[in-house]
Amino acid sequence: MPTFTAFIKSLFIIAIIGLIGGGLFIYSGLYPMGADVPHNKLSYWMLETLRERSIARAASTTQVPDDLNTSDRLLSGGADYNDMCAGCHLEPEVKENDFTIGLYPSPPNLTATPKDHGHEHSRSSDEHGKDAEIQRQFWIIKHGIKASGMPAWGPTHSDERIWNMVSFLQRLPSLTKEQYQILTARGQDDQ
Amino acid sequence: MKNKTLIPAFVLTALSMTFSAQAHDSKEHMKNAESPDCAAMKDMDHKRMNKNDPVMQAMMKKCMKHMDHGNDMKGMNHNSSVDDSKEQSDKQHSGHQH
Repeated sequence: MPTFTAFIKSLFIIAIIGLIGGGLFIYSGLYPMGADVPHNKLSYWMLETLRERSIARAASTTQVPDDLNTSDRLLSGGADYNDMCAGCHLEPEVKENDFTIGLYPSPPNLTATPKDHGHEHSRSSDEHGKDAEIQRQFWIIKHGIKASGMPAWGPTHSDERIWNMVSFLQRLPSLTKEQYQILTARGQDDQ
Repeated sequence: MKNKTLIPAFVLTALSMTFSAQAHDSKEHMKNAESPDCAAMKDMDHKRMNKNDPVMQAMMKKCMKHMDHGNDMKGMNHNSSVDDSKEQSDKQHSGHQH
Protein backbone atom coordinates (compact mmCIF):
# COMPACT_ATOMS: atom_id res chain seq x y z
CA MET A 1 0.00 0.00 0.00
CA PRO A 2 1.79 3.15 -1.18
CA THR A 3 2.12 5.82 1.46
CA PHE A 4 0.86 9.36 1.00
CA THR A 5 4.45 10.59 0.83
CA ALA A 6 5.24 8.17 -1.99
CA PHE A 7 2.14 9.35 -3.83
CA ILE A 8 3.20 13.00 -3.56
CA LYS A 9 6.71 12.11 -4.71
CA SER A 10 5.26 10.34 -7.74
CA LEU A 11 3.14 13.36 -8.61
CA PHE A 12 6.18 15.59 -8.27
CA ILE A 13 8.25 13.38 -10.58
CA ILE A 14 5.44 13.27 -13.16
CA ALA A 15 5.18 17.08 -13.03
CA ILE A 16 8.94 17.46 -13.56
CA ILE A 17 8.88 15.04 -16.49
CA GLY A 18 5.93 16.95 -17.96
CA LEU A 19 7.76 20.27 -17.67
CA ILE A 20 10.93 18.88 -19.22
CA GLY A 21 8.95 17.23 -21.99
CA GLY A 22 7.06 20.45 -22.68
CA GLY A 23 10.28 22.42 -22.75
CA LEU A 24 11.89 19.96 -25.13
CA PHE A 25 8.86 20.17 -27.42
CA ILE A 26 8.99 23.96 -27.46
CA TYR A 27 12.72 24.07 -28.17
CA SER A 28 12.47 21.38 -30.83
CA GLY A 29 10.59 23.81 -33.10
CA LEU A 30 8.32 20.98 -34.22
CA TYR A 31 5.05 22.92 -33.77
CA PRO A 32 4.18 24.65 -37.07
CA MET A 33 3.91 28.43 -36.68
CA GLY A 34 3.09 29.36 -40.28
CA ALA A 35 -0.15 31.30 -40.69
CA ASP A 36 -1.02 28.96 -43.53
CA VAL A 37 -1.13 25.91 -41.22
CA PRO A 38 -4.18 25.96 -38.91
CA HIS A 39 -3.89 24.96 -35.27
CA ASN A 40 -4.98 21.45 -34.36
CA LYS A 41 -8.38 21.23 -32.70
CA LEU A 42 -7.03 21.06 -29.15
CA SER A 43 -4.72 24.06 -29.56
CA TYR A 44 -7.45 26.00 -31.32
CA TRP A 45 -9.96 25.31 -28.57
CA MET A 46 -7.48 26.25 -25.85
CA LEU A 47 -6.46 29.52 -27.51
CA GLU A 48 -10.01 30.47 -28.46
CA THR A 49 -11.36 29.75 -24.99
CA LEU A 50 -8.48 31.54 -23.30
CA ARG A 51 -8.98 34.61 -25.51
CA GLU A 52 -12.75 34.84 -25.15
CA ARG A 53 -12.82 34.21 -21.40
CA SER A 54 -10.08 36.76 -20.84
CA ILE A 55 -11.80 39.43 -22.93
CA ALA A 56 -15.21 38.75 -21.34
CA ARG A 57 -13.75 39.17 -17.86
CA ALA A 58 -11.72 42.26 -18.70
CA ALA A 59 -14.52 43.98 -20.60
CA SER A 60 -17.25 43.29 -18.06
CA THR A 61 -16.63 46.52 -16.15
CA THR A 62 -16.62 48.79 -19.21
CA GLN A 63 -19.23 51.54 -18.94
CA VAL A 64 -21.22 51.89 -22.15
CA PRO A 65 -22.16 55.52 -22.95
CA ASP A 66 -25.89 56.30 -23.07
CA ASP A 67 -25.52 58.27 -26.31
CA LEU A 68 -23.81 55.57 -28.35
CA ASN A 69 -26.32 55.52 -31.21
CA THR A 70 -26.02 59.07 -32.62
CA SER A 71 -25.31 60.42 -36.08
CA ASP A 72 -22.18 62.30 -34.99
CA ARG A 73 -20.65 59.14 -33.57
CA LEU A 74 -21.51 57.25 -36.76
CA LEU A 75 -19.79 59.84 -38.93
CA SER A 76 -16.64 59.97 -36.82
CA GLY A 77 -16.44 56.23 -36.26
CA GLY A 78 -17.25 55.41 -39.86
CA ALA A 79 -14.44 57.52 -41.25
CA ASP A 80 -11.96 55.94 -38.84
CA TYR A 81 -13.24 52.44 -39.62
CA ASN A 82 -12.76 53.00 -43.34
CA ASP A 83 -9.24 54.32 -42.84
CA MET A 84 -7.93 51.92 -40.20
CA CYS A 85 -10.12 48.81 -40.10
CA ALA A 86 -11.70 48.07 -43.47
CA GLY A 87 -8.46 46.69 -44.85
CA CYS A 88 -8.82 43.64 -42.62
CA HIS A 89 -12.44 43.68 -41.52
CA LEU A 90 -13.88 44.50 -44.93
CA GLU A 91 -16.67 46.74 -46.19
CA PRO A 92 -20.12 45.98 -47.64
CA GLU A 93 -20.09 43.66 -50.70
CA VAL A 94 -16.43 42.78 -50.16
CA LYS A 95 -16.15 39.18 -49.01
CA GLU A 96 -12.40 38.72 -48.75
CA ASN A 97 -9.02 40.22 -49.54
CA ASP A 98 -5.35 39.35 -49.13
CA PHE A 99 -5.45 40.07 -45.41
CA THR A 100 -8.50 37.97 -44.61
CA ILE A 101 -7.03 35.09 -46.60
CA GLY A 102 -3.48 35.38 -45.31
CA LEU A 103 -3.94 36.24 -41.64
CA TYR A 104 -4.46 33.50 -39.06
CA PRO A 105 -6.72 33.73 -37.23
CA SER A 106 -8.61 35.40 -40.02
CA PRO A 107 -9.96 38.82 -39.02
CA PRO A 108 -13.75 38.62 -38.62
CA ASN A 109 -15.86 40.15 -41.37
CA LEU A 110 -17.46 42.98 -39.43
CA THR A 111 -19.95 43.74 -42.20
CA ALA A 112 -21.65 40.50 -41.15
CA THR A 113 -23.55 40.05 -37.91
CA PRO A 114 -21.62 38.41 -35.04
CA LYS A 115 -23.63 35.24 -35.58
CA ASP A 116 -22.75 35.17 -39.28
CA HIS A 117 -19.02 35.79 -38.85
CA GLY A 118 -18.79 33.10 -36.20
CA HIS A 119 -18.31 35.26 -33.13
CA GLU A 120 -21.66 35.24 -31.43
CA HIS A 121 -20.48 35.56 -27.87
CA SER A 122 -23.59 36.76 -26.11
CA ARG A 123 -26.09 33.94 -25.94
CA SER A 124 -29.09 36.14 -25.33
CA SER A 125 -30.59 38.77 -27.54
CA ASP A 126 -31.65 40.92 -24.60
CA GLU A 127 -30.10 44.19 -23.49
CA HIS A 128 -27.51 42.50 -21.29
CA GLY A 129 -26.26 40.43 -24.19
CA LYS A 130 -26.17 43.48 -26.42
CA ASP A 131 -24.20 45.42 -23.82
CA ALA A 132 -21.73 42.56 -23.50
CA GLU A 133 -21.16 42.64 -27.25
CA ILE A 134 -20.59 46.40 -27.18
CA GLN A 135 -18.21 46.12 -24.23
CA ARG A 136 -16.31 43.41 -26.05
CA GLN A 137 -15.93 45.50 -29.20
CA PHE A 138 -14.68 48.49 -27.23
CA TRP A 139 -12.18 46.42 -25.28
CA ILE A 140 -10.78 44.71 -28.36
CA ILE A 141 -10.33 47.98 -30.27
CA LYS A 142 -8.69 49.64 -27.29
CA HIS A 143 -6.41 46.81 -26.15
CA GLY A 144 -5.98 44.67 -29.25
CA ILE A 145 -5.34 40.93 -29.06
CA LYS A 146 -1.93 39.37 -28.55
CA ALA A 147 -0.34 37.52 -31.46
CA SER A 148 -3.35 38.02 -33.70
CA GLY A 149 -2.60 41.03 -35.87
CA MET A 150 -5.26 43.06 -34.08
CA PRO A 151 -3.49 46.19 -32.81
CA ALA A 152 -4.27 48.10 -29.65
CA TRP A 153 -5.65 51.44 -30.75
CA GLY A 154 -5.86 52.76 -27.22
CA PRO A 155 -2.33 54.19 -27.06
CA THR A 156 -3.03 56.42 -30.07
CA HIS A 157 -6.78 57.05 -29.85
CA SER A 158 -8.99 58.47 -27.12
CA ASP A 159 -11.80 56.45 -25.57
CA GLU A 160 -14.28 58.80 -27.19
CA ARG A 161 -12.92 58.07 -30.63
CA ILE A 162 -13.01 54.34 -29.95
CA TRP A 163 -16.63 54.58 -28.79
CA ASN A 164 -17.41 56.29 -32.09
CA MET A 165 -15.98 53.28 -33.90
CA VAL A 166 -18.04 50.94 -31.74
CA SER A 167 -21.14 52.97 -32.60
CA PHE A 168 -20.37 52.50 -36.28
CA LEU A 169 -19.68 48.78 -35.87
CA GLN A 170 -23.13 48.32 -34.35
CA ARG A 171 -24.72 49.60 -37.56
CA LEU A 172 -22.23 48.32 -40.11
CA PRO A 173 -23.95 44.97 -40.79
CA SER A 174 -27.10 46.82 -41.88
CA LEU A 175 -25.42 49.32 -44.23
CA THR A 176 -25.60 49.13 -48.00
CA LYS A 177 -22.52 49.89 -50.07
CA GLU A 178 -23.90 53.33 -50.92
CA GLN A 179 -24.71 54.18 -47.31
CA TYR A 180 -21.24 53.02 -46.26
CA GLN A 181 -19.57 55.24 -48.84
CA ILE A 182 -21.47 58.32 -47.74
CA LEU A 183 -20.95 57.75 -44.04
CA THR A 184 -17.25 56.98 -44.27
CA ALA A 185 -16.03 59.45 -46.89
CA ARG A 186 -14.07 62.16 -45.14
CA GLY A 187 -14.02 64.70 -47.94
CA GLN A 188 -11.72 67.67 -48.03
CA ASP A 189 -14.05 69.78 -45.89
CA ASP A 190 -14.38 67.35 -43.03
CA GLN A 191 -12.39 67.71 -39.83
CA MET B 1 33.63 64.97 -21.63
CA LYS B 2 32.02 62.12 -23.49
CA ASN B 3 29.08 62.06 -21.05
CA LYS B 4 28.47 65.78 -21.60
CA THR B 5 27.76 65.20 -25.29
CA LEU B 6 26.12 61.79 -24.95
CA ILE B 7 23.48 62.81 -22.41
CA PRO B 8 22.02 65.71 -24.43
CA ALA B 9 22.10 63.55 -27.56
CA PHE B 10 20.24 60.82 -25.75
CA VAL B 11 17.68 63.27 -24.37
CA LEU B 12 17.08 64.80 -27.80
CA THR B 13 16.67 61.38 -29.38
CA ALA B 14 14.20 60.31 -26.70
CA LEU B 15 12.23 63.53 -27.09
CA SER B 16 12.02 63.18 -30.85
CA MET B 17 10.75 59.61 -30.47
CA THR B 18 8.16 60.81 -27.96
CA PHE B 19 6.86 63.48 -30.34
CA SER B 20 6.47 60.93 -33.10
CA ALA B 21 4.26 58.80 -30.84
CA GLN B 22 1.63 61.48 -30.30
CA ALA B 23 -2.04 60.74 -30.77
CA HIS B 24 -3.09 59.79 -34.26
CA ASP B 25 -4.84 62.79 -35.83
CA SER B 26 -7.72 62.13 -38.20
CA LYS B 27 -6.38 64.92 -40.43
CA GLU B 28 -3.57 62.58 -41.46
CA HIS B 29 -6.15 60.75 -43.55
CA MET B 30 -7.21 63.87 -45.41
CA LYS B 31 -4.51 63.42 -48.06
CA ASN B 32 -6.40 60.61 -49.82
CA ALA B 33 -9.90 61.64 -48.73
CA GLU B 34 -12.75 61.01 -51.13
CA SER B 35 -16.00 62.93 -51.18
CA PRO B 36 -19.29 61.26 -50.34
CA ASP B 37 -21.36 60.15 -53.31
CA CYS B 38 -24.49 62.03 -52.29
CA ALA B 39 -26.06 61.56 -55.72
CA ALA B 40 -26.74 57.98 -54.59
CA MET B 41 -29.17 59.34 -52.01
CA LYS B 42 -31.55 60.49 -54.75
CA ASP B 43 -32.15 56.87 -55.72
CA MET B 44 -33.04 55.90 -52.19
CA ASP B 45 -36.69 55.65 -51.22
CA HIS B 46 -36.89 58.51 -48.75
CA LYS B 47 -40.49 57.74 -47.83
CA ARG B 48 -39.31 54.47 -46.32
CA MET B 49 -36.47 56.06 -44.44
CA ASN B 50 -36.92 56.65 -40.74
CA LYS B 51 -35.93 60.25 -40.10
CA ASN B 52 -35.09 59.35 -36.53
CA ASP B 53 -32.60 56.73 -37.65
CA PRO B 54 -29.08 57.95 -36.85
CA VAL B 55 -27.83 56.45 -40.14
CA MET B 56 -30.30 58.58 -42.08
CA GLN B 57 -29.43 61.62 -39.98
CA ALA B 58 -25.71 61.07 -40.51
CA MET B 59 -26.11 60.75 -44.27
CA MET B 60 -28.16 63.94 -44.41
CA LYS B 61 -25.56 65.78 -42.36
CA LYS B 62 -22.75 64.56 -44.55
CA CYS B 63 -24.50 65.42 -47.80
CA MET B 64 -25.75 68.82 -46.68
CA LYS B 65 -22.18 69.73 -45.86
CA HIS B 66 -20.79 68.56 -49.20
CA MET B 67 -23.42 69.49 -51.70
CA ASP B 68 -24.82 72.72 -53.06
CA HIS B 69 -28.07 72.89 -51.15
CA GLY B 70 -29.92 74.61 -53.96
CA ASN B 71 -29.08 72.23 -56.80
CA ASP B 72 -27.97 68.73 -55.92
CA MET B 73 -30.51 68.27 -53.12
CA LYS B 74 -33.32 69.26 -55.50
CA GLY B 75 -34.57 65.71 -56.00
CA MET B 76 -34.82 64.97 -52.30
CA ASN B 77 -37.95 65.22 -50.20
CA HIS B 78 -37.06 67.78 -47.56
CA ASN B 79 -40.05 66.78 -45.47
CA SER B 80 -38.00 63.82 -44.37
CA SER B 81 -35.21 66.05 -43.13
CA VAL B 82 -34.30 65.60 -39.51
CA ASP B 83 -34.49 68.21 -36.79
CA ASP B 84 -30.81 68.47 -35.99
CA SER B 85 -29.71 68.60 -39.62
CA LYS B 86 -32.40 71.18 -40.26
CA GLU B 87 -31.07 73.23 -37.39
CA GLN B 88 -27.55 73.02 -38.75
CA SER B 89 -28.76 73.85 -42.23
CA ASP B 90 -30.64 76.88 -40.92
CA LYS B 91 -27.48 78.20 -39.36
CA GLN B 92 -25.63 77.90 -42.64
CA HIS B 93 -28.44 79.07 -44.92
CA SER B 94 -30.33 81.71 -43.01
CA GLY B 95 -33.70 82.46 -44.53
CA HIS B 96 -33.77 79.20 -46.49
CA GLN B 97 -37.22 77.70 -45.98
CA HIS B 98 -37.92 73.98 -46.26
